[in-house]
This record gives sequence, structure tokens and C-alpha cells, in this order.
Amino acid sequence: MKRMLFLMVVFVLALPARAEQALLMVRVNMKAADTMDVLKETVREYGYEVAHVQRCDGGMAQFHYKTDYYRVLFFGKLAEVRGILHSYPEMAPFLPLKIAVIAEKNQTVLAAVDPLALTRLYGNHPVLSVQFARWHNDLQAMLEEMRDYRKP
Amino acid sequence: MKRYWILGMCLLASAVGAAPDGKALYEANCSACHQSEGKGGIGLPLTEEILSQLSDDYIAKTIRNGRPGRIMPSFVALSDAQVKAILNYIRGWSSKPAPVFPKLTLKGDPARGKPIYQKRCVRCHGKDGSGEGSGTGVTLSRERKFMVMPAALNNPGFQRSASDAMIADIIRRGRRIGHMPSFRNKLTEQQIVDVVAYLRTLKPPPAIHGMPEWAGKPVYVMESPYGFEETVKALKEALTGANFRIFPARYLEQGLADEFSVNKRQLAIRFCNFKELYHLLNIDPRLGTVLPCRINVIERNGKVLLISPNVVEVAKLFNNRELLEVAVVMEEVILGVMEEATL
Repeated sequence: MKRMLFLMVVFVLALPARAEQALLMVRVNMKAADTMDVLKETVREYGYEVAHVQRCDGGMAQFHYKTDYYRVLFFGKLAEVRGILHSYPEMAPFLPLKIAVIAEKNQTVLAAVDPLALTRLYGNHPVLSVQFARWHNDLQAMLEEMRDYRKP
Repeated sequence: MKRYWILGMCLLASAVGAAPDGKALYEANCSACHQSEGKGGIGLPLTEEILSQLSDDYIAKTIRNGRPGRIMPSFVALSDAQVKAILNYIRGWSSKPAPVFPKLTLKGDPARGKPIYQKRCVRCHGKDGSGEGSGTGVTLSRERKFMVMPAALNNPGFQRSASDAMIADIIRRGRRIGHMPSFRNKLTEQQIVDVVAYLRTLKPPPAIHGMPEWAGKPVYVMESPYGFEETVKALKEALTGANFRIFPARYLEQGLADEFSVNKRQLAIRFCNFKELYHLLNIDPRLGTVLPCRINVIERNGKVLLISPNVVEVAKLFNNRELLEVAVVMEEVILGVMEEATL
């Protein structure tokens, strides 16, 4: 009976459909600068620290390329980043985590590599796979929160 | 236990029985690229004109098949009811009814269609039918040659989704938003059918591969024969020699740890070529998810390692063939830099 109940709950939880894609993306109905502010808060609410913001737009503008607001937010949990880098230095290129903040006129697209997509690349590593799933859940939840955010 | 059983049954019933919410599904799966109400962004705009040319069957198959190598993913996990709900929601934006096309194969002659394609279509759709220009869809923030990029007619997703009759109808009517002219008065019915037959012979371009020795690996790793500082210096010199601009280096823990406890033997050397970056962002504005380019220098157990993401494997995550082509070139450059720094 317990097993049946478990299977049923798993089935229900698995129902929300997702694309066969490796990026998590949402559209936010808010200007990019405002979106960045709310995103920083959201990231912190999920227990992460903002490490820094890469200003890709600033660099391109310096070289006279026309660009809208285009920045990347880096974030992580120190203990997590430190522990993973200690045991798996080959994870270095993917840490800290990041979300791209891309302006599209008065709206903003937020995009991140889906950590689950790294599972195959890292050979379904038992420890890393669990970590990827955790990050996936957090990123998915953060992005959905951002998508549904309405300015007060 | 009985309570749990009832709860489980209720959850199951609500998930299976409830009609899918098309708007919610569209917002969750489509709006990031196609924008709210289909105005278009990274993805194709779903205007009234475009919707009036596409059958429900075509849109449903496009959602299912996606466009391999052209950004649009395949949504194989959506149920038929969910696809239908999205379709109904999208159709609500247009006052025109969905066109219906017969599924039969038109009997044209590809040999007669080929010269017509080469004369009338090749300028925009390309010799092999791959489409012309950079990227797909329209981006609102950057200049594009076309508001809507010409369709990649040789794409397996397109070939599987479009019926002969629908393609023929688009050739007849043209598409204003994509600057595609109407051929109703320029081609006979038989010529249109011959062109459709020729389109069916177009093959997708060959698969792109990076270096076989690094295929399937998440990162490039090389051990340096030098000490940490020497390696960092050699890496910077090699990057400068390869025409990259180097940003101030960052410790991997920087911003997370305080300056006293930060691990100073884990350094990210970040670099960029802005001309190339601008070009790449036009090919795929989502590239920021893996920016900036960086090679990490890590000291561990007395060894100094250079670690870079495998750019070919990373590019595969984007379902964008054009980006993958650039990644194959970049792979050679990055490995060259890493080799030079560890010589």
C-alpha cells in the first residue's frame, strides 16, 4: 500500500511538463535594472550569496558596440562551493552559479544553464547528480518566482 | 494510512482530471522566447498573419519536434491535452480561423522544382535550405537583416511538421513579416508543387563535432609544469597573444568568502574578444548563461591545473548549430592557449 501511494505521489509530482532543453528561461514583465534588483533579493531568499555582477553591456559599450542591458549575476553558497571545489575541481568552470539578465525593451529575459543538463556531462556522478538536482530545483523555483513577480 | 490514500487519490484526480491551462502553459514554456501574446523575441513572432498560415497540426508537431539546431526545443513531455491547450490559447490572439490542409503528398517533380528554387528561393533560404543570416527569430535589442529569419527548410523538425499543402499555400501567399513575396502570379500551380517536391529532397547539414579526444567531457584539463604564479603569468601571456582582452582575475570564492579566508589558489582568469562576443550574442542572446570566457587555475595536492569548460559540449546545450560551429573554432583556440601556457 505504501509503495503504491509513493508511486502515485511521484507520478503526480512528475506531471508538470518540461521541454527537452538545457536552459532554464523565463520572461519578466519588468525593466532589466529593476529585475536585477528583485533577482538579487530572490537569490538571497533562497539562501545564496550574490558573488558579483558581470556587466557585459558595459564592456561592449566601451568598444562602441550597440547593446541593451546585458548582465550576468553570479551567486552561490560558500560552504557548497568550497566543498565541491575541494572534492571536484573539474566543477570550477560552472561555479559560482549564474543567471543572465537580458533586456528586451521593457521586459527582461532571465536565462541559466539547467544544472540537470550537466548530469550527463559528469557521467551521472552519484554525488554531483544530487547536487545538480538541488540546484535545478532552486533555480527553477527562483525563476518561476521572478516570472510571476508583480511590482507592488 | 487511509488519510494518505485519500490525499493521494485527490492529488491524482486533480492532476489528471483538470483541464490544462493554456495560458499558464504558454507562460511557463513559450513566453521566454516568443514573448507574451506572441510578439516574438528570441523566438518567432506569432502574429495574426503567421497564425493564419499555420495549421493546428503543424504547430502541434512543431511543439513536439522542435527545430534541431535552431534554438526551439522539442517539448516531448507535454501531453496531447497540454499541447492542445497551448494551441487554443495561441489561437485566441487571432480573429482568423486556423487553416486546415490535406495531408496528402503533392505529386511534383523535384528535378523541375530545383531550378525554380535556385532562381526564386535560394537568396533567402540558402542553397541547401538552411536559411540565411545569423540566428533565428527576431531579437528586439539588436539589428537584424530580416524581422523574421527565413525558415530552415532542410531542418528535420520543419520537414516532419509541415505538410506539402501548407508549404504550397505559403509559397502562393508569401509572408509580409518575413519579406517573402507571393508567388501566386509568378509560378504556375504545377511549378509550386514541383518546388515543394524539391524541398522534400533537401537534407540537413552534416553533424558538427569537436575534437574527438575531448568529446563528451565537461571540461578541458591540463596540468602545468610550473608553480601557481608562473602558470597564471604564462596563461595571461598566451591569452594576450591570442588577441583576448583580460579582465581582472577573480578567486572562485570571491564575493562569497571574506578576503582573509578566500582560497587564493583557485583563480578564474576571465577574458574576452568583444568583437567576437558581439557577433556571438547576435547568434544567440542566451550566451550570457556561460559568460565570460574563463580558464581556471587551481592548485591541488601540489599540482597546478588549468581547467576550462569544454566549449563544444557547452554549446550543445543551446540547440543552436551556428553557435556550435563557432564553438568548434573556439575549442582549438582555447586548447592552443592552454597548451602554450603549460609548455
